[in-house]
Amino acid sequence: MKNMTLKLLIWRQKDANSPGEMVPYTVENVSPHMSFLEMLDVLNEKIIKEGGDPIEFDNDCREGICGMCSLVINGIPHGTQHRTATCQLHMRHFKDGDTITIEPFRAKPFPVIKDLAVDRSAFDRIIAKGGYISVNTGSAPDANSIPISKEAADLAMDAAECIGCGACVAACPNASAALFVGAKISQYTFLPQGKPEAKRRALRMIEQMDAEGFGNCSNHGECEAVCPKEISILNIARMRREFLKAAIR
Amino acid sequence: MASKPYDTTFLTTVGKKIVMAITGLFLVIFVVEHMLGNLFFLVGADAYNEYSHKLLSLGPLLWAIEIVLLAAFVFHAFYGISITLYNKSARPEKYKQLRSAGKPSRKTISSTTMIYTGLILLIFLVIHLKSFKYGTYYSTVVNGVEMRDLHRLMVEKFSTPLYTFGYVAVMILLGFHLRHGFWSAFQSLGANHPRYSAGIYTLGVFIAIILAIGFVAVPLWIYFTQ
Amino acid sequence: MSQSNSKLDSKIPDGPLDKKWETHKNNIKVVSPANKRKHTIIVVGTGLAGASASASLAELGYNVKTFCIQDSPRRAHSIAAQGGINAAKNYQNDNDSVFRLFYDTIKGGDYRAREANVYRLAELSANIIDQCVAQGVPFAREYGGLLANRSFGGVLVSRTFYARGQTGQQLLLGAYGAMMRQVDLGKVEMYPRREMLDVIVVDGKARGIVVRNLITGAVERYAADAVILATGGYGNLYYLSTNAKNSNATAIWRAYKRGAYFANPCFVQIHPTCIPVSGDYQSKLTLMSESLRNDGRVWVPKKKGDNRPPNEIPEEERDYYLERRYPSYGNLVPRDVASRNAKYVCDEGRGVGETGLAVYLDFSDAIRRLGEDYIRDKYGNLFEMYERITGEDPYKTPMKIYPAVHYTMGGLWVDYNLMSTIPGLYVLGEANFSDHGANRLGASALMQGLADGYFIIPYTIGDYLANTDLPPVSTEEKAFEESEKEIQEFVKRLLSVKGKKTVMEFHRELGMIMWNKVGMSRNAKGLQEALSDIPALREEFWKNVNVPGDEKHLNKNLEFAGRVADFLELGELVAMDALQREESCGGHFREEYATPDGEALRNDEKFSFVAAWQYKGEGKKPELVREDLKFEYVKPTQRSYK
Repeated sequence: MKNMTLKLLIWRQKDANSPGEMVPYTVENVSPHMSFLEMLDVLNEKIIKEGGDPIEFDNDCREGICGMCSLVINGIPHGTQHRTATCQLHMRHFKDGDTITIEPFRAKPFPVIKDLAVDRSAFDRIIAKGGYISVNTGSAPDANSIPISKEAADLAMDAAECIGCGACVAACPNASAALFVGAKISQYTFLPQGKPEAKRRALRMIEQMDAEGFGNCSNHGECEAVCPKEISILNIARMRREFLKAAIR
Repeated sequence: MASKPYDTTFLTTVGKKIVMAITGLFLVIFVVEHMLGNLFFLVGADAYNEYSHKLLSLGPLLWAIEIVLLAAFVFHAFYGISITLYNKSARPEKYKQLRSAGKPSRKTISSTTMIYTGLILLIFLVIHLKSFKYGTYYSTVVNGVEMRDLHRLMVEKFSTPLYTFGYVAVMILLGFHLRHGFWSAFQSLGANHPRYSAGIYTLGVFIAIILAIGFVAVPLWIYFTQ
Repeated sequence: MSQSNSKLDSKIPDGPLDKKWETHKNNIKVVSPANKRKHTIIVVGTGLAGASASASLAELGYNVKTFCIQDSPRRAHSIAAQGGINAAKNYQNDNDSVFRLFYDTIKGGDYRAREANVYRLAELSANIIDQCVAQGVPFAREYGGLLANRSFGGVLVSRTFYARGQTGQQLLLGAYGAMMRQVDLGKVEMYPRREMLDVIVVDGKARGIVVRNLITGAVERYAADAVILATGGYGNLYYLSTNAKNSNATAIWRAYKRGAYFANPCFVQIHPTCIPVSGDYQSKLTLMSESLRNDGRVWVPKKKGDNRPPNEIPEEERDYYLERRYPSYGNLVPRDVASRNAKYVCDEGRGVGETGLAVYLDFSDAIRRLGEDYIRDKYGNLFEMYERITGEDPYKTPMKIYPAVHYTMGGLWVDYNLMSTIPGLYVLGEANFSDHGANRLGASALMQGLADGYFIIPYTIGDYLANTDLPPVSTEEKAFEESEKEIQEFVKRLLSVKGKKTVMEFHRELGMIMWNKVGMSRNAKGLQEALSDIPALREEFWKNVNVPGDEKHLNKNLEFAGRVADFLELGELVAMDALQREESCGGHFREEYATPDGEALRNDEKFSFVAAWQYKGEGKKPELVREDLKFEYVKPTQRSYK
């Protein structure tokens, strides 16, 4: 494969309080082996050399696990490749001459900080309300004292894989955080350690999710389709079950 | 909140969807019953009138059912509208471009138009009640019993093209509404499981098609044969 | 050039090795609950060490202020650790024990770590697993419901606990959850998107930090009774590494400049199983978990320049060089050994791939023996990751791997209490130098980070707080004011150069110098060259760097410019340390000091010490202070994995 020239339409916004707009750029000599973020690096280097203001985008691990990248590429959070965070999306999936639009994750609880960087601290505030098992350091019994079936451990892990990127919110037509919250609540439903505070966890996390201003889940399932970890919306069903149990009891 | 969850349970985003689901499923049962009842029309005029007479003579029980139905409609509609408005506010700055990521997403034309199909069904409901429940009272005698002749009213209504095809169109929209609504209700109630989720989803599609066909069969039959 | 070790007191408790920690805990002071409420502790960094320390200290009742550079504390790079965490549980009945874990770690570190610290680490390892399971970390399990284990490089027992290929993520989310619980309880105040730029020392004690708010650019001051740095390693000094883009050395470097000694900077781990470099735009390297070496076989063609596709090279023309050279450990030799051997075969011209800088990691035998499903179950997500990055299917064609900078064993010097040479300044996790000697064994970083944060610092910091007179310090204090002024000037200076080269270009150039001359194999000539190249590049940086934008908005280039400026100083120290250490040990390989068959040749007589460097001021040569290492329980021998 040879190198490509791409046209980009990128959301530029000076800061949280300024209006933004889509700005066109051209980037040349894009190797198909580059990752999407490396392509943006190349563009930024060019912008800097030309005396411009480089595009801000959040990123950190660049191996698909930290969840910091937050780009909507051609209308899909993290782009068209399934099970892939933006940083692991490679340019070999694009063609020479393509036009690519890049926008930030958009939701009321995810305000733009600058350009493509958004504030996702709403997720931290939700976790603070119950995304854990309340156990102090030092008080744990032997790790093998409570057997947990392999199936349960695997299901807990499926839910626990969430990287907290917020693509689920970004893709949801309603900007709902149900998959993120559902995954965390779900993880603990499979583990005996999670049971004692299940009720409190579900109620408090959902209350905080609402307080942040995320929308209702209408079961479109877009979240699952863009999730880099393919977290199933069955976890949302589990969250609702936990909520019902908590509300009834 | 944790100390008295009953205060706000059904005002949370999750709680509202539970109300939508319960009322929605109740309405599905009603609609299925209604559709099966309509099919008596195909058996014959007397059979149909006798069936409707039986229903009408339930007395207080019918009242009770109607009140519950009305409540289900009101809650379903009210919550549906409120949820939609709230969801719009959750993304004040729209995307310049947003598309579906494809499977395993269940986003369809059905799922994205629930509010529109819902509103049309609401308007339809008013017209429908006006046409039939509170429509012209013809009477007939079957096996010596005097009763309302709904059969005649049906034939009358469904002989005009506007009414017939309007009805058919709305019933197709009902199919669309249920295609997402049915499985979505289960998902909203948390009644979903890896083993059944595909089954419930398919059942939803099936119910939507059967209901739409069942409802349009009678009007079309009337229009084209009577 | 060096002084006696009287300047450094490691505070290792007396008594037999297996009683030291117990005795120490019994002898140190405890702060009363009422007084704990009066103390504020600053924690910088929210990886395994920082998050676990924040949670545990807050649980005890201290007021904790925690800082991180990412948008959320959950993003810290511990999240990327794949393979697992070691613990001497002996659940597999393979004769594992605290002593064996201790011994493996000391030996794996090529006898350049403190016995007492490593023994404590091994002792605490079992508690970590208990704690994490109680937190709901979904470790892999057997069908019987008990925890599963796997083996890792450099050991003969199976003691590594794991959660698919995402162990670091799960452990970090456990610690992050515990910390967020304390945020909810009001005991931890979380400050994300803050970069620590200075430690404030008042009356000789660490009493606060100055940070830059990365969104507004405001310089903020925070006072406390003690400061904990858990800011990770300095692998990004090499530009290309497996570290996250934001990982940096600025926090520890600024602390060094305030008086904390920097120990063993030349001990850098080069990880053998990374995805090879594909082009000069490359921004980072991706690690493939070492656990792959359990079932994958490493090989290169026997012939030089053999360009045939791997599947067409017959068995007898393949050289499984690790199995050939190290029959007893085979593909599971420690990281430094595996990396060095990959370099050798590539230097011989037997490397594979477009660049010739790669070796094969082949699973075809394992797939034949155990079935594709088994391999998929065990390594599925790693295989997928490989395919996503390279576009090649590792089930069908062998993976191509090459070593890359991964972890830094060196770091700020700390005593047994994890306190640096600045009283009240503690350093945890990868940021300190303490437990891994000259080479870290796989699955030990997670263990160390959590041991430091959950089980060591909560005790040792109490002793300091109880024993130290700590009058209230205001952020209006002169030290804060001066520091803020210096930082403002530093930022202005970076923005005002307006040169021709970007920050990334400088970083890349520095990385090339480091990789080529202070990398996997080093020699005096190369190191001396590096010692003149780095200052020259530094000088150019301050004359010709182009930092765009302003300091009042989110400006990643400005952040990076500051970090690269620090790397340009640290690189020199690393080279200096590598030059003085005239021996080969662990990750530090000096070509002049090798056995006839190319293995690392230690010089215990002259170099059995920790090299701690003391900052002496700008433009002055730092002073080397030695802490001699004593081995009472294991006898240093020539490390052999044959």
